Amino acid sequence: MSRGRGAVDPKRVSSELFSLTYGCMVAQLLKDFENPEEVNKQLETMGYNIGVRLIDDFLAHSPSVTRCSTLEEVAEVLCKQGFKMFLGIVPEVRNWSSAKDEFSLVITENPLAEYVELPPHCQDCLWYSNIICGVIRGALEMVQMDVKCSFVGDTLRGNDSTEIRIKFVKILEDSLPAGED
Amino acid sequence: SSGINAEYGVATDPTEDALKMHFLVHTSIDVIEEKLSSATAANDPRDLYLGQLYPNEDYRIYGYVTNTKIKIVVIETISNPLKDARQVFSQVHSAYISLVCNPFYSPGETITSQPFLQTVTALMRGKAIA
Repeated sequence: MSRGRGAVDPKRVSSELFSLTYGCMVAQLLKDFENPEEVNKQLETMGYNIGVRLIDDFLAHSPSVTRCSTLEEVAEVLCKQGFKMFLGIVPEVRNWSSAKDEFSLVITENPLAEYVELPPHCQDCLWYSNIICGVIRGALEMVQMDVKCSFVGDTLRGNDSTEIRIKFVKILEDSLPAGED
Repeated sequence: SSGINAEYGVATDPTEDALKMHFLVHTSIDVIEEKLSSATAANDPRDLYLGQLYPNEDYRIYGYVTNTKIKIVVIETISNPLKDARQVFSQVHSAYISLVCNPFYSPGETITSQPFLQTVTALMRGKAIA
């Protein structure tokens, strides 16, 4: 699918430009909303809007990905293909719950957070990369999976690791449009 | 240690007289500004490293200016001579670049970034940065 934009190679955007753009956006959100909790929500919502669109692009570029039958498969595809394709990193999957309905993603190198130092008033409440949680939630919703996704630790906040917790809630049934049987 | 005021910022060894250092830095900045305004095609203003700024019997004072007009002054005492002034400047410059890439830091603000201050302190102690 050509976009006819001349010499622009859509696959090559400088990662520094990307991190700076994201960082300035977070800084601006903080100025606008002042409350870090509210910024967390905004980032998650933005991420959700990205995720519902990103999933189609991802699936189009990953012909080898088939329907996942277990959450374990979902986790695997998410990390080894999803994260790899868009952020160039492969998080580790860890800490499965005994019911196998919850797991963690541990990120060692976060391209969004390079050079970032949180201001003191955000140290305990801002999840800087919260957009990622929204992306995961949105993308999975489009493949009929309802999940809860949130950060439980971030090295930017002084925690030992940057970790996202993902909990499977339910499969989403396609609901018929109103008026049809 | 306190932050570095980016209007002019001074990080000093605690054994030195801070007031004297501030004075030397002020003078150095004046010298650098003079050099910048008198830059001609012959002396390429794009060479960031300015070398020794002016003679002083107790110290050697080196200057460096970035393309964004950030001036870095390094004052070396006889007791703690620099091995490679250019290297030191280039490392301070790199640390400054990382500092500025922090979206929560605005150029001109007082510098309180721990990584930056640690780099500068280590350089002052003559430790090479990896």
